[in-house]
Amino acid sequence: MRTLHLTLFILATAWANQLQAQKTVSFTGAARSAVNNNTFNTQDSIPDTSTVMRNTTGYALIDLGVNIRPNKHTEILGMFRIRNQYGGFWGAGVGFDVRQLWLKGIVANAVRYQLGDLNLKQTPFTLYNHHADRPDSMPDVFLLQQRIVDYERFYSRNTWRQQGLQADFGLSFAKLVKEVDFNGYLTRLRASNLADIPDRLMGGVTVDVLQSKHLALSWNGFSVFDVRGTAADTNRMDNRVQTFGLTYAGNIAGGQLLIKGESGTSKLAFSNAAGLTSLQDYFIYVSGKLLFPTKHLSLEAGYMNIGPDFRSIGAQSKDINYQNSGGLFNRYANGNSLRAPALLELMGNEQVYQTSVSSSLMPAAQEFNAVLPYGTATFNRLGGFAGLRYAHPSGFSVDLKHHQLREIRGQGTLSLKAFQQTKAHFLLDIAKLSGTRKGKKLRFGIERQSVNRSSNIAFETVDFNRWRLSAGAEVEVFKKIDLLFGMVQQQSKGADFIPDRDEYSRVSFLNRTSYQNKQQLLAGGIRCRFEGNTYFTAFYQQQVNKKPSEGTPDYQIRQFSLIYNMNF
Amino acid sequence: MNTSRFTTIAALLLLSLAGCRKEQVFDGPSLEDLNKSFALLQPFAANKDSVAFGNKELVTFTAKFNKTVQWHIHIRGSASKAHKVISGQGNEIAAPAGIWNGSTTYFPMFTEEPCTATLRIDGLSDSFSLPVKITSVKKNPGLLLSDFENGINSMWRRFVQSGASMDLATKQDSLAPQGNGYLNMAGTVSWDWLTVMLDIPAIPYGGAVLPLNSNPDAVYFNCLIYGVPNTNPSLVLFQFKEDDNKDGNFNSNTEDQYDLQVNVNWSGWKLVSVKYSDIISLSNGQPTTPKGDSKHNPDKISVISMLHLADPKGGFANTKVDYLCFTSTPLEP
Repeated sequence: MRTLHLTLFILATAWANQLQAQKTVSFTGAARSAVNNNTFNTQDSIPDTSTVMRNTTGYALIDLGVNIRPNKHTEILGMFRIRNQYGGFWGAGVGFDVRQLWLKGIVANAVRYQLGDLNLKQTPFTLYNHHADRPDSMPDVFLLQQRIVDYERFYSRNTWRQQGLQADFGLSFAKLVKEVDFNGYLTRLRASNLADIPDRLMGGVTVDVLQSKHLALSWNGFSVFDVRGTAADTNRMDNRVQTFGLTYAGNIAGGQLLIKGESGTSKLAFSNAAGLTSLQDYFIYVSGKLLFPTKHLSLEAGYMNIGPDFRSIGAQSKDINYQNSGGLFNRYANGNSLRAPALLELMGNEQVYQTSVSSSLMPAAQEFNAVLPYGTATFNRLGGFAGLRYAHPSGFSVDLKHHQLREIRGQGTLSLKAFQQTKAHFLLDIAKLSGTRKGKKLRFGIERQSVNRSSNIAFETVDFNRWRLSAGAEVEVFKKIDLLFGMVQQQSKGADFIPDRDEYSRVSFLNRTSYQNKQQLLAGGIRCRFEGNTYFTAFYQQQVNKKPSEGTPDYQIRQFSLIYNMNF
Repeated sequence: MNTSRFTTIAALLLLSLAGCRKEQVFDGPSLEDLNKSFALLQPFAANKDSVAFGNKELVTFTAKFNKTVQWHIHIRGSASKAHKVISGQGNEIAAPAGIWNGSTTYFPMFTEEPCTATLRIDGLSDSFSLPVKITSVKKNPGLLLSDFENGINSMWRRFVQSGASMDLATKQDSLAPQGNGYLNMAGTVSWDWLTVMLDIPAIPYGGAVLPLNSNPDAVYFNCLIYGVPNTNPSLVLFQFKEDDNKDGNFNSNTEDQYDLQVNVNWSGWKLVSVKYSDIISLSNGQPTTPKGDSKHNPDKISVISMLHLADPKGGFANTKVDYLCFTSTPLEP
């Protein structure tokens, strides 16, 4: 297979060289080299003698894409990846893969299409990658790691990577409405094994109606379904979501008013599930934003009502798989404790991140997001939110947002949980404030989440709190040479009932779980910026995790990394 | 502008009508129920006290509780120390969740021996036990290549590199996960990855090719592999060589070879069970295109090579294998 890839690559490159002279070919891609030296340390009553406490990993890779435009209506991109793992075992370190392959064009100057790899999103309730657990406003030393994750997993503005076809076209009108745009896609989530697993397809259609410069309406249809006849098994899944969207923009009281709303229904059905007919529900989400550009201020308030049985595979898939520890010190305490993803993995380990949507409801992590674990598409939430953003051009900005929510249907009791989430983030651009040319940025953030349930029965009481503090600095000490510092500290305390769910996402058991977890991630390093998007960075980071879960010992990971990254 | 405002306000009013809701049901089991004191409504029992798994008999455990619990039945063999765990949740134990077919969770496999089944309930210190005697052990239908009870088949071809502490022999001791014997592969080879190798021809199994189903989705290759702690990591490579043209010989340039590369990065025994159609061709550990008809033909396998590999820089490497077999579904040992 590698020989085939190599031959294809050489042929494509030779052809590309030929076409380069005709200005119909361009090259695109990226190169990266990374080395990580990791040290693990744990304190347990029984000395850990079986965990390998140090390791060094690294790789060099190049992504070379050939962008071909054989005519003015067609564009083709093929991207190859050559990756060399440092110190690979039994020749297993060298990889040669096709990373991207797509073709797009226009038919009859009216219909645009794309075949192959697609980066797709619709609306936050149909198909959308919420990145729900990512800390907001991350310090740069973590942001550069997060950008590598985004590149590796094809995350681009809340998209999911799929393979299939997409087409769109638009119609313009003289009266009543200005424009109607149609957009549709069909992809394959899973291939049949020709025995007991059927083909699973995912499709969506969006119709956008632009009535005027003030009002736009939309209809969105989303579906994931198993194709009848592609396997002997008859338990076929079918998830359908239909939503209507509204956007209003107008002027009011010296400012601009922007109202966005979406409402719809969902149905999740299995053709042969014992005791389950289907899960059906509806949702309503409305937000209003007042913008005062001259005062550099925007205010936001909204209402959400997401039904307890609202299920949308495309919008409720998590980007992080908490059942995957990411390959770094997976087991410790003499192999007795599985290490779950911590802040270190959240910031920069692409191994725990998913590329595609998941057909089954993925487990959430209470420590990272107890309030909206599936983003705004989190089911069983009712309440409101309000926010404020002030961004002065002199270099100071502040973002505040608060969610006040409750359950619609209780879990194990009629008493309902209340959820609160408050976030505040501050940015000081000292270079702008002081008028100096060298960049200096300071970031601070504070977030609090709480889950409470009061009940006459003491056992049902829930009281969970999570605090997260973040701070970061980016200081340009010499031209294009930055010192980077970052800190995230997170503390989870209290107890909650964490549901076990069956394969149809219904609650089957409730586990009372106590949290006394404290995590801290400290990082510091240097970055040299070259032309374009090229940089070299060396940084050290340290993860401390105290009481990761009940009965698991504390641990500490120290990591020194060297990364050279180039996009071209 | 007026139309837009009217539409927006109308839509918002419509949405607010559906605004508040609170349901008079709840998800999952009742917390009140979960929190009440545990009581056994029907005692923990088995439908038989001696069982012949070899005759396809099963044991069904039953019990009833006054509330939903997470329960675990631990069955331990008194002689073999085999350990089976059956877990579930609910307010009763019954078929199918409470059925034991003679399989094991933690090696070794069960032998003909008295066993003790113990019911444990999460959050409860008490446990409930009962005896079950195995009169014949579970049979795993399929093609058994070897369980190493009687040494290495004399028709298998051996290769041992020049090196230090080389071993390619069967052992009979308490470490065996099945029966009494297993195969030990070990050695230090400072100049090559390969330490020892065995060629398993089809001839001892009745013909020029192995007697397997032609459907690669209905053939599973299984083996038990032991990772020795604190040694140079081993890699066990199985090469399945197909005689595509049925001329009685395997030609590596014109016929398919599929490779299963197992990186032994664990300690203790572990079951490796892989569907034949999922096994790909490798060249130096990397996927490559098969050189024959590129179809998985388990009914054309003429030779299986088993190689023990280890990084020459790493020093002594050791692993053990047992119970090489093909089945139609993943092996449940």
